[in-house]
Amino acid sequence: MDSAPAVSIQQATARSRAEQPEILSAKQVGFAVDAPGGRLTILNDISLKLNAGQTLAIVGASGSGKTTLLGLLAGLETPTTGQVELAGTNLNQMDENQRAALRRAQVGFVFQSFHLLPSLTALENVMLALEIARIEPARERALTALDQVGLSHRLKHYPRQLSGGEQQRVAIARAFAGNPKILFADEPTGNLDRTTGIAIADLLFTLNEEHGTALVLVTHDLKLAERCERVVTMEDGHLTGPGTLISTSDSA
Amino acid sequence: MNSISLSARLLFRQSRSGSLWMLIAGLMIATAAMSAVSLFTDRVGRALEMQAGETLAADLVVAGRAALPAEFRTLASENGLRTTSMITLNSVLFSDQNSSLFDVKAVETGYPLRGTLMTTQNPGAEAEAARDTPAPGTAWIEPRGLRALDMQVGQSVFMGEHELIVERLLTYEPDRGGGPFMLSPRLLVNLEDLQTSGLLGPGTRAQSRLLVAGDEAAVATFARQIEPLLESRQRIVTATEADNQTGAALEQARRFLAVAALTAVILAAVAVLLSAMRFTESQRDLIAILKAFGASSGEIMRALTLLLLWLVLIAILMGAVLGWLGQHLIGQILSGQMTLPLPGPRLSVMLGTGVFTLLLATGFALPPLMALRRVPPMRILNRSLDTKTGIGTLGWLLPIAAALAIPVIELNDYRLALLMLGGSAVLALSLALAAWLAMIVTRRLASRTRGAWRFGLAGLSRRQGASIVQITALGLGLMSLLLLMIVRGELIGQWQASLPENTPDHFVVNLQPAQAPAFSAGLENLGAQNMQIRPMANANLIEISGERPPEGAFTGQVNVSWIDALPPANEVIEGEFWHSGASGEISLSERWAERVGVQLGDEMTFDAGGQQFSATVTSIRRVEWNSFNVNFFILLTPEAGEQLPHQFIASFYRPDTAAAELDQLARQYPNASVLDVGALIERVFDIITQVSRAAQVVFAFTLVAGLIVLLAALEATRDQRRVESALIRTLGAGNRTVQGGLLIEYSIMATIAATLAILGAAAIGWLLAEQLFNFDYRPGLSLIVSGFAASVVLVVGAGWLGNRSVLKTPPVRILRAG
Repeated sequence: MDSAPAVSIQQATARSRAEQPEILSAKQVGFAVDAPGGRLTILNDISLKLNAGQTLAIVGASGSGKTTLLGLLAGLETPTTGQVELAGTNLNQMDENQRAALRRAQVGFVFQSFHLLPSLTALENVMLALEIARIEPARERALTALDQVGLSHRLKHYPRQLSGGEQQRVAIARAFAGNPKILFADEPTGNLDRTTGIAIADLLFTLNEEHGTALVLVTHDLKLAERCERVVTMEDGHLTGPGTLISTSDSA
Repeated sequence: MNSISLSARLLFRQSRSGSLWMLIAGLMIATAAMSAVSLFTDRVGRALEMQAGETLAADLVVAGRAALPAEFRTLASENGLRTTSMITLNSVLFSDQNSSLFDVKAVETGYPLRGTLMTTQNPGAEAEAARDTPAPGTAWIEPRGLRALDMQVGQSVFMGEHELIVERLLTYEPDRGGGPFMLSPRLLVNLEDLQTSGLLGPGTRAQSRLLVAGDEAAVATFARQIEPLLESRQRIVTATEADNQTGAALEQARRFLAVAALTAVILAAVAVLLSAMRFTESQRDLIAILKAFGASSGEIMRALTLLLLWLVLIAILMGAVLGWLGQHLIGQILSGQMTLPLPGPRLSVMLGTGVFTLLLATGFALPPLMALRRVPPMRILNRSLDTKTGIGTLGWLLPIAAALAIPVIELNDYRLALLMLGGSAVLALSLALAAWLAMIVTRRLASRTRGAWRFGLAGLSRRQGASIVQITALGLGLMSLLLLMIVRGELIGQWQASLPENTPDHFVVNLQPAQAPAFSAGLENLGAQNMQIRPMANANLIEISGERPPEGAFTGQVNVSWIDALPPANEVIEGEFWHSGASGEISLSERWAERVGVQLGDEMTFDAGGQQFSATVTSIRRVEWNSFNVNFFILLTPEAGEQLPHQFIASFYRPDTAAAELDQLARQYPNASVLDVGALIERVFDIITQVSRAAQVVFAFTLVAGLIVLLAALEATRDQRRVESALIRTLGAGNRTVQGGLLIEYSIMATIAATLAILGAAAIGWLLAEQLFNFDYRPGLSLIVSGFAASVVLVVGAGWLGNRSVLKTPPVRILRAG
């Protein structure tokens, strides 16, 4: 009963992932808010599925609802209609604290504006996420994660002392340190120059490959989207059919 | 991770980067200012208590007609208190030449427990502090007692069955009491001598007193324990009842110090409010991130509450240390000018200040912090989804009210606290309301204007919440400073002027009409100043407007006097005082008219020595009873009084050099009594001078704290303003537009804050003067003009200076720094 636009498997290497268990599914998801002019529908009737280890890009124009969809899929918000299942759990039936517990255990985030805490060093930023998820030993794992992103020489630097690319690498280290099942990335290269953007994307996909993490990526950058196994396009709060780059068909 | 370790990590990690120091700094300044002022005013307050204790020669006295039971003394000793017994008795004493009625005071070793006796060998010689009391067989006499008995030091006085050698002249006893009208001269003797003199037989009118002194708490315990044991003719006497003039001066002194302490409280509350608001605002992003990473709301709230608690505790500790140093500094500044021995600072005051800051920070910071629980984690992706939630309930008023109750209870002056804190609350509400209205107006105007005006007006209304808080904080800060100026300049000035240099320090009573002119001339010769000689007769009120005075009204004997013009230290509050030559008129003191129930137009009939006379009440006066002038409840037009049997009473200031001459003059009029109240005036003068000085320094200190709070208020929105200014400069706006915008924004804030602050300060100052200090204060145009100008210059100037760097820094650097 998947009424969402069809999606196809892109790469042969990813074919086996299609047989992996489902990590994320959205069924007829809608989202509306009260605005000064009346009720405003941001998302309408969105359905999609993603298996463990798969990568999915959501592309679309500004204001099309990509980021809101990402928030709903990650359990940062609950849909007004339809339902979202993450790691086999129906998010609609969970309260904010239960969803927080789920995010703690299964989910990682990378944001366009990095969202590092300015008052914590690179190492502390990574450690804080691990500590919240109660993953021990936090320090050692944070050190390993920062080493993996090539920042072991910048551990004691504060975000303002790091370049944009370095800040995003800290954010990626923070996202992967807890070994999440699924990673949500909102325009991860949006604030970076092209070269740095490519380096960050390489890092993201390498770690994704190494950790076997599923990845949901919101981006404007079609080149970046192209690197994902599947691409869907958002337009005015709908998934409008095949992504612009890749012809898709319902193979889920 | 549990909340305690999360909060500790947030604290330790964030502290290194300095982002939490804003809150700590705000709370620290609040605690430091308040504890410095409270600690010091408490020290001066307790020094005054001790001064007050001097008017009793003890901390507490138990008085009774008959001998007091021994168990009273035992009970006091059990409480660790020092005690001494004393008996006073009016008795006629004899010398070889003469006899006279004396007020005999018999004391034991140890008397006085507070204060010192001053004695001298010869009249006019410099008095010295006495370390002992009269030995058995000896007596110390007041100088006028020598004149009354026509004798010299070294001769004998006969008291009952004893002959006592007069060893010294007694010039000052701390508990002389009774004001100037204790008519009989004093003879101080040993208690043993009086007890064996045969004067204390059945039916004696002797008064027994147990004097008690020691630790404050122990005295209070003793007072509580003894209360139920007292019989009908026994009572507890405390310092406030002991002596009117000193008591009144002490009361005023306490009020001035309380004004300073409460001003510090208001400033501290503003500082805490500002810091708490900035703190909670800065935590929004943190909360969204923590939530996105899976921390539960409960965990975050507990961690933030604990974080707040750590911060407050750190701030309180640092503030307490600073406050301690501050009060020490105030003490040092005053060290050369204060003769009042100051007791050490008390830890309990410090604790009170700590709890105050804690409760206030909780009241101000916790509710918005709790509201942050509702910050959606989606904020991390899209800030616009974080619609700010209100602070919900009014439950936050509770800790604030509890916090404010602490200084109120400590100062124990509810009317003053109500005037100042209630006044400030009304002002705060008015400021917030005015600011809110101004936001509406500026928002409308902004869309119709251009350039700097648009930038300035829009800037103000865009930060509506912050602007309202900022204007309220500025207004309260300015009001505190202006109020200090009013109290410092006007009220303390009036207080000092209430006891000028040559205040009458001698009184003469029992002067016969025929003696008055010559005596007056004698006084003028010896250089007496501020002399008043007034006739006085005793009369009984028998009728009011043809009817007998109502039961219970004051119908005993009362002193009346007559005069043809309003005397000094009197003010007519109803009706009109007569002109020279008027007849059949009467003027009453406010207090007496109220007590007897007489009004303007009533006809009063008196009887004086069998002569009856009637007069109509044509004026009611307010009398300054503490002015050391001769004052009367009842004044008549001269024609009525001159018929009555009367005597004269005089008051004057005696130059220091004329002591011996006055003694000579007084000896020529043995029937008249010359009373020296110089020591009493000295004491009141001392209190006024010392407390004025202390208050000036404390006020200056509070003023500095107030300026810091004002700067903090201006600082509150600086970061945002910097970014906006950088942005419009990037868009090509010139420095003039940016400067103009800032100037317009600050000027609007300053105008609203200054206008209401002046109104508030004038109203509270006027209420304090009228209701509490009993001074005349009308807020003048100069306060309004200079206060307004100073406030606007201060706010606009400080805001301007704070933002100067905006214009000097390349906009790109500001924008990059965020």
